[in-house]
Amino acid sequence: MSMLNYHHFPIYSIMVLFFGAFLIAAIGGRDIAKNRKTTGVRAFIPLLATAASLAFLIALIKPVMLGGEVIAYWMGSRGISNGYAIGIALEVDALSLFFALLIATALFVSAVYSIKYMEHDDNIGQYYILYCMLGGGVLGLVLSGDIFNMFIMVEILTFAAVALTAFRTKVYGALEAAFKYLVVGCMGSTLILTGVIMLYAQYHTLNLAQLAALIPGTMNNATKLAFALLYIGFSTKAFIVPFHPLAADAHGAAPASISVLISGVLTKSGIYGIIRLTYFLFQTMELGAMQFMLVFVGSVSMFVCVTMALAQHDFKRLLAFHSISQIGYVLAAVGLSTALGISAGLYHAMNHTLFKGLLFLAAGAVLHETGTTDLGKLGGLSKKMPHTTVLFLIGAFSISGVPPFNGFASKWMIYQATYQKAVETGNIGFLLVTIIALITSVLTLASFVKVSQSVFFGQLPAEYENVKEVPFGMRLAMGILAVLCVITGLVPQLVTRYLTEPAARAVFRVGDYISSMGFASQTPAPAVSFAQVGVWEPISWLLILCIALLAVTIVAVAGKYDRVSVRSSETVDTKYQLFYGGEDNFHSQVGGGDLFWGFKHNWRHYFSFMHDLHSGIVNDYALWAVVALALSIVFVMIVL
Amino acid sequence: MTSILLNALQYLGYILIFPGFLFCFVCGMLLCGIDRKLVARMQKRVGPPILQPFYDFFKLCGKETIIPDAASRTTFLAAPLVGLAALVVIQLFVPIHGFSAFYGMADVIVILYLLLIPALASILGAAASGSPYAGIGLSREMVTIISCELPLVLILLAIAKTVGNALGTGLCFSLSAIADYQLVHGSLITKARMIPAAIAMLLVIPGETGNHPFDAAEAETEICEGMLAEYSGGPLAVFKLSHAVKMLTLTSLFVALFLGGVGTGITAVDGVVVFILCVIVTAVSISFVHAVTARLKIEQIFKYYWTVVSGLALVSLVLAWYGL
Repeated sequence: MSMLNYHHFPIYSIMVLFFGAFLIAAIGGRDIAKNRKTTGVRAFIPLLATAASLAFLIALIKPVMLGGEVIAYWMGSRGISNGYAIGIALEVDALSLFFALLIATALFVSAVYSIKYMEHDDNIGQYYILYCMLGGGVLGLVLSGDIFNMFIMVEILTFAAVALTAFRTKVYGALEAAFKYLVVGCMGSTLILTGVIMLYAQYHTLNLAQLAALIPGTMNNATKLAFALLYIGFSTKAFIVPFHPLAADAHGAAPASISVLISGVLTKSGIYGIIRLTYFLFQTMELGAMQFMLVFVGSVSMFVCVTMALAQHDFKRLLAFHSISQIGYVLAAVGLSTALGISAGLYHAMNHTLFKGLLFLAAGAVLHETGTTDLGKLGGLSKKMPHTTVLFLIGAFSISGVPPFNGFASKWMIYQATYQKAVETGNIGFLLVTIIALITSVLTLASFVKVSQSVFFGQLPAEYENVKEVPFGMRLAMGILAVLCVITGLVPQLVTRYLTEPAARAVFRVGDYISSMGFASQTPAPAVSFAQVGVWEPISWLLILCIALLAVTIVAVAGKYDRVSVRSSETVDTKYQLFYGGEDNFHSQVGGGDLFWGFKHNWRHYFSFMHDLHSGIVNDYALWAVVALALSIVFVMIVL
Repeated sequence: MTSILLNALQYLGYILIFPGFLFCFVCGMLLCGIDRKLVARMQKRVGPPILQPFYDFFKLCGKETIIPDAASRTTFLAAPLVGLAALVVIQLFVPIHGFSAFYGMADVIVILYLLLIPALASILGAAASGSPYAGIGLSREMVTIISCELPLVLILLAIAKTVGNALGTGLCFSLSAIADYQLVHGSLITKARMIPAAIAMLLVIPGETGNHPFDAAEAETEICEGMLAEYSGGPLAVFKLSHAVKMLTLTSLFVALFLGGVGTGITAVDGVVVFILCVIVTAVSISFVHAVTARLKIEQIFKYYWTVVSGLALVSLVLAWYGL
């Protein structure tokens, strides 16, 4: 095969990142003297590597997404021998490619952002080495056709992520967060390894396709145990309940460019693992009990984490909880096991990467300029950072599901999918999921109203008088994501046709996945339908809104709406000051923690319960992991 | 070519005249005036003339607009306009007895979300003013939105299920299908199982529009009209207009969802009929409630909506679910 045959592209996209990491190390990972020239080169290598990686994956859209091809790629000249897969293989179907595209996009944007954002940090070389390792690890995980390599990649990405979480060691809590992540992350990795070993002992193969061909129908207690171990292992990577407190700590301490990766990339790898495990390896998703498990965990994640987010008073911790809440949406939708549900879940996963990336970058911009992310201390930054404010608002509207941004398009599909499922099965539980999803959405809006009021609007504290807008490079990174947020919201039909529906269809074509690797498959692909009951035409709506807005503005301007009194600079006129009922003007910003008192008061028992539960002690969280494992083992043993 | 032009003109007419701006402006303001008169009469006052909201509006437009030093100018000025435009667009999607200006472009769940945009516009405008009163006001407004969301969701799901059962599809979100259903089967309010939902919707309307007793977000006497504290002149006039249009939008949504039925087929007559129904709904759900209650505290509003009103809506949903 020629070097430029697209069958090589998956391995290229992984290799460039690892190669980039080695190249940076070769230049010198350690800053001995603060040499601006090599710093620039080091920032340029990851940029180039992630861009190349993204380009390789985009080139695969045509054959894999549109052509429906499953690329099976053997490393070296290995292959199938005596009916067993020997050697390392990559296998790329539309599902893998979909996740890989998300990951590569987030990696690229975050690399653009890092150039300026990390400029003043020490040891920038090490940062970029870990950055590339992390990226390569996650891409390797989603493109791998071999379960042991998935474990290897999980290890690489976990350790890179732990090190990057603590990269700014002087930040309060960074080492503690990294330690917690390390403990529970290692438990997760160990569970995955144990699960892999148990599967190998039973089936003498590590190839995903071959396992998928062998496991269904031959399940015994050992494979069931392996399922539970792998499931909990991937759950720790996705940070779904009960592993959500780790995400909050890690996001709070990590640099914003890494938070983007933890939320947009690492959680996706966990979700990907769960989909591969349930739909492909064990093919258990036809069981109502398995659907129940995923939908239940997803719903609990979305609701618990959104309420936890409402109680936060740190910008990045708040975003971290929202991240898990949105992953809850994804998991609940994917767990429905209907074509529309999976398509909606994947759509939301994509949107989550885009808008949550944007929001974390905005939080990073605020941190970069003011040095804090405490909602109680900030305020009024919109006058100093107008571009960041607009970009933040786009992200906030997207995550809150305000039409016509992308969050609405995917959440709206999720509501339909859950309600349809409820009607089809006659199970009122799925109806409850619809209601929880809708309420979670409005609570999300509430907490972003809180952020905009306490960071970007309201009164500007005196100490931030000299804050400036962030450098262009950082705004560019945010701008890319903001544009993507708007586009994917305006053309949902195109997104579903070219990205999510092929990926969702791949989930049902387990047979293709197995036979592409060269194994016999008995699983016929079922007919799937993506029909929706709702109607929503964002572009027409936007057009009408624009006409209406234009009309209002013309009338308003004609009616001297902007007859604004101009303040003369010399005189002090009290009418331009805020109204304080006759008192002197003073700083009286309503702190973020004090907003929504009316809501929190009614839920005070719930919040105090949650407060006690989230003790911040890593022993407790490790205990939760053990309990979750025990419960899932019992559950799996009963239902499978 | 001419047909395209005529089509464009027709749609422009929909947006600007009926059921768009002019209709919203006149009917919304009239509705507001009638509400004020009714409340006054119920409280044994003479009350303002019915055209008072128009006088107020034009008087405000002539006044000076002051932007506080602490405000973010663009957001502060743009918020009222965006809110008004978004409200008018919702009105375009609400069918008037079978007549719908923009057919099949948005369903009930979309309407639920579109209703957030005007509220969000006023919240961002208030936040941009920098006033602490506005800060408290927007916090209460957001809690009021959360309060109303649960009952609204339950009501809409109950309707979706009821109509879907009759159509044989199981569920239906389309507004025009709901209107068609009522053409054949009679108004939804005549179905016994939908009556609790209709009552719940009547209670949601004053919460959504921010009328008494659910007006903790404005609360003139405590927090100086909260979100509007720093607004004056033209922008304030637009906010007042938005409030009036919101009353029209929600009452006509109620009419479309629960009081639909056979129209005369003549759009103008149907428009008048719908407006009269809107007046009746306003009288019941806004004026009467206003006249007999005192303002609730914000935590009481939340509790009330998530227990009593949601409970009513839930009864309908469960009945609809089991097809009783």
